[in-house]
Amino acid sequence: MSDHKPIVEIKRLTKYFSGKAALNAVDLKVLPGRIIGLLGPNGSGKSTLIRHMIGLYLPDNGICTTFGCDAEKLSQRELPRIGYVHQEGELLDWMTAEQLIRYVSAYHPGWNRELEDRYVNDFDIDLNAKVGALSPGQRQKLSILLAIGHVPDFLILDEPASALDPMARAQFLNLLIKIIQQKQKTILISSHILSDVEKVIDHVIIMKNGHIIEDQGFDDLRDQYLRIRLTSLGTSLPEEMPFERVLSCERNNGQAVLTLENPQIETIKNQAESIDCRIDFHPLPLEDIYKIVMSS
Amino acid sequence: MLLEIDHHSGIPIYRQIKDQVREQIMAGRLKEGDQLVSVRELATQLKVTPVTISKAYSAMEAEGLLERRRGIGLFIAEIHSDKKEETKESIIGALLSKAVTTAIQFGVSQNKLEKMLKDTFLKYRKERGRESNE
Repeated sequence: MSDHKPIVEIKRLTKYFSGKAALNAVDLKVLPGRIIGLLGPNGSGKSTLIRHMIGLYLPDNGICTTFGCDAEKLSQRELPRIGYVHQEGELLDWMTAEQLIRYVSAYHPGWNRELEDRYVNDFDIDLNAKVGALSPGQRQKLSILLAIGHVPDFLILDEPASALDPMARAQFLNLLIKIIQQKQKTILISSHILSDVEKVIDHVIIMKNGHIIEDQGFDDLRDQYLRIRLTSLGTSLPEEMPFERVLSCERNNGQAVLTLENPQIETIKNQAESIDCRIDFHPLPLEDIYKIVMSS
Repeated sequence: MLLEIDHHSGIPIYRQIKDQVREQIMAGRLKEGDQLVSVRELATQLKVTPVTISKAYSAMEAEGLLERRRGIGLFIAEIHSDKKEETKESIIGALLSKAVTTAIQFGVSQNKLEKMLKDTFLKYRKERGRESNE
């Protein structure tokens, strides 16, 4: 973590499609050594943002630099340091898997044959199969291999694991962690399967309507919300609860479940005691945090 | 140092690590002056990113559980015995609160609960081959 220079730096980035802003004055810094989850509903601007980082789109307004280079000037020097798996997964269907791997690896002097062999073995890739005849899951595994074989400094995964079965997804996510641990790599992963990314990411970016509405460490985000269950030890719960920053409250029969923002644990414990209640703490899974952030 | 991470509990990873290390110190499994494994090593072991481990270590250092020796690494800090007692009481206190509030909800009396506590003590003492009480 010695080098803190951002991999990507975006300032006031705006992009229009048919007069509508797909990205609206977005600011972002991607710091090295992290696994970042890029979350948001369809059409929130995730893929548009990603495509700016690799020069596939150019800003209508604002700046986007990757490895210190303007998106439009990205060249032989920067591009090999990036790996990109995208949603459509366009591959050369008439080749065999082996041929396609050799074809792509020929472009990369730094191609890691050892990683390739291990990956082919671990993920059970049929090298002799025609690419066009692969199942969606097999196809996705192959795309991922083609994007990581040259061991990029910055790996971008746009919905990478959606076609994989749960076992393959778990395997794949463990592989990502390994890549990060061995070298100072950075991974940006956009996904709808929150319970998956929850296991690997250490930073969260949430997008909505072309804006970034959340950008912080995953642990910090988790600390920001808490669900508590109160159970009255007397006859019933008081009408007026003493808690602050309550996002939601459901109650019935001497019990209540509250979701709190920026909770002060000690204060909450004392407050629960003051109304003669037992309190149980239930931290929120990412999916619930995501829903709260999206609806606020 | 054997730690276990639950990714779906919703509890921040750095806090899971901190709580477990604190408990190991209180139980004497980690002792003052013991050196902690490096950030990278623990990250590999727990399958989380180094950024997360760094955060856990910093939080424990800020809390006085760890001390940094320049150029060498992080070590379990000396913790004053008063502070240690206080920490033990607060950990056990939280567990007792659960037992007591459950007893109240179930309508189990204080006498009955105290007897259960004694019996539980006896059971574990018997199982450990009559180790001395004090």
